[in-house]
Amino acid sequence: MTGLLDLYSEKGSFLHRLDPRVKLLAVLLLSVLAFMLSELLPLVLLLAFILLLLALSKSSFGKAFFALKFVVRLMVLITLLWPLFDRSGTPVLFSIGPLDITEPAIWRGVTSAVRIGCFATVWYILMFTTQQRDLVRALVKLGLRFDYGLALSISFRFIPTFGLTIESIKDAQRARALELDKGSFIRRSKNYVSVLVPAVVSALRTADTLALTLQSRAYGAFRDRTYLREIRMRPSDYVALAVAVLALLLPALAKYVYGVPL
Amino acid sequence: MQALRLEDVRFRYPGMSGWALDIPSLGIGQGEFVTVLGPNGAGKTTLSFLANGLIPKSIKGESEGSVEVFEHKASEYSVAQLSTLVGMVFQEPESQLFCMSAEEEVAFGPENLAVPRDEIARRVEWALGLVGLKGMNGRSPSTLSGGQKQRLAIAAALSMKPSMLVLDEPAYALDPVGRIELYTILSDLKTNHGMTVVVMERDAEALAKFSDRFVVLVGGRITASGPPAAVLRDPRFLKEAGVSPPQLSEVASMISARRKGPPLGFLTVEEAVAEIMVNAPRHTRMVSR
Repeated sequence: MTGLLDLYSEKGSFLHRLDPRVKLLAVLLLSVLAFMLSELLPLVLLLAFILLLLALSKSSFGKAFFALKFVVRLMVLITLLWPLFDRSGTPVLFSIGPLDITEPAIWRGVTSAVRIGCFATVWYILMFTTQQRDLVRALVKLGLRFDYGLALSISFRFIPTFGLTIESIKDAQRARALELDKGSFIRRSKNYVSVLVPAVVSALRTADTLALTLQSRAYGAFRDRTYLREIRMRPSDYVALAVAVLALLLPALAKYVYGVPL
Repeated sequence: MQALRLEDVRFRYPGMSGWALDIPSLGIGQGEFVTVLGPNGAGKTTLSFLANGLIPKSIKGESEGSVEVFEHKASEYSVAQLSTLVGMVFQEPESQLFCMSAEEEVAFGPENLAVPRDEIARRVEWALGLVGLKGMNGRSPSTLSGGQKQRLAIAAALSMKPSMLVLDEPAYALDPVGRIELYTILSDLKTNHGMTVVVMERDAEALAKFSDRFVVLVGGRITASGPPAAVLRDPRFLKEAGVSPPQLSEVASMISARRKGPPLGFLTVEEAVAEIMVNAPRHTRMVSR
């Protein structure tokens, strides 16, 4: 459960120490770069660079494997399906019934797969090396309203709690001889109503107490609240930011100004 | 000075026929440790919400009378302003902790009050230390035990530097050890920091030795108020109020009923031995069984 929700692991890599705002921007810039590049070779180089960063994040092999499994599946799927829908170009390599599979389409499929791979993997770097609270803090610092930031961090905080609530309601209903996993799809869906209703009621009650708690802790007392922990840019953060900006800017210049096929 | 003063206070929730709370007069002195006993639906939560302004600011209903907190009219202040006078701790540990770390939880109140950063840092250390969670700054609240969670909730209220703490059944989900830890911390806050403590609970037995006064609330009305020993002297009355009386005070009243002389009112084994030895030596055999 938590593995899915929180990929962060407490390791001391330089990526962990970077300002979360810089990481967020760098990841955005690299994502844009992945969509800007249209040739296979630069995309493969970009993917290699991203995987290198991922390795440098010192995240455990298990977590990386868990995360990359989805990416690899998606990449394989795109590679296989692309030529079926994109039938332009020559030469036709072979035909499946009315479908002509062309060589350029296969390459385009592979290129798109690598691009999606870059896009998905680069966000994992952020997830692996940034605590959720730092991410929220970064967003607030970048101009997100504190209310929204708080709502976001509260949802992160309560997802596992509700997971546990649902599990214990399931157990309670099983103890009353409710068979959740038996019967047809419709039957099972109906059975889940008896789990969902108490879960929603419990969630509403929690929300109620939470609202009272927030008020009791002076929430919204002043427009400008202070923060115990401030995030500050250090020299290394500026370097990382510059590298990320150049990583997008230089290929963009090369491609659009000098016409280098990238 | 009175920490909390209620005059002719009545409150009715929307759509309910009777008053949830109907208190002609109640005063809680500064530095007093008061336990409000009462069954479910007695009005304990309503009373605690009145004390920090959640009623009528946030929870609407029909309300009458005046509530004063440290000589300030509660109705004239926002809940946020009152939070610097009254710290509130709720029953459910899980739903009142919403941050990713203990430190953030404690810092949340002062941050909202725009307290300068180094002062927040000092308060966080101070409050965590008071509740016995020193060094747990980075711990995620969800990894704490039930007792630790409630203590963290207390620290989160303390960091706003209130003069009174109001706790609505804080020990509801705790085991006996956790309860005693909690009450000990509250008692320490009273003794060493002059904190006024108001606890809404049903656990008369454990709270007897920590409290200066018991107030019994039944059906929204105060039916008894006085030193714990005096209130507990009549266990039948507590039973009617849905509060479980201490076993020893039940024994005391059983003995009292069967013999002549002044009624016994012991609450601890030591008191029992002392009173029985003085008053009725022949009962010692019965008690020691």
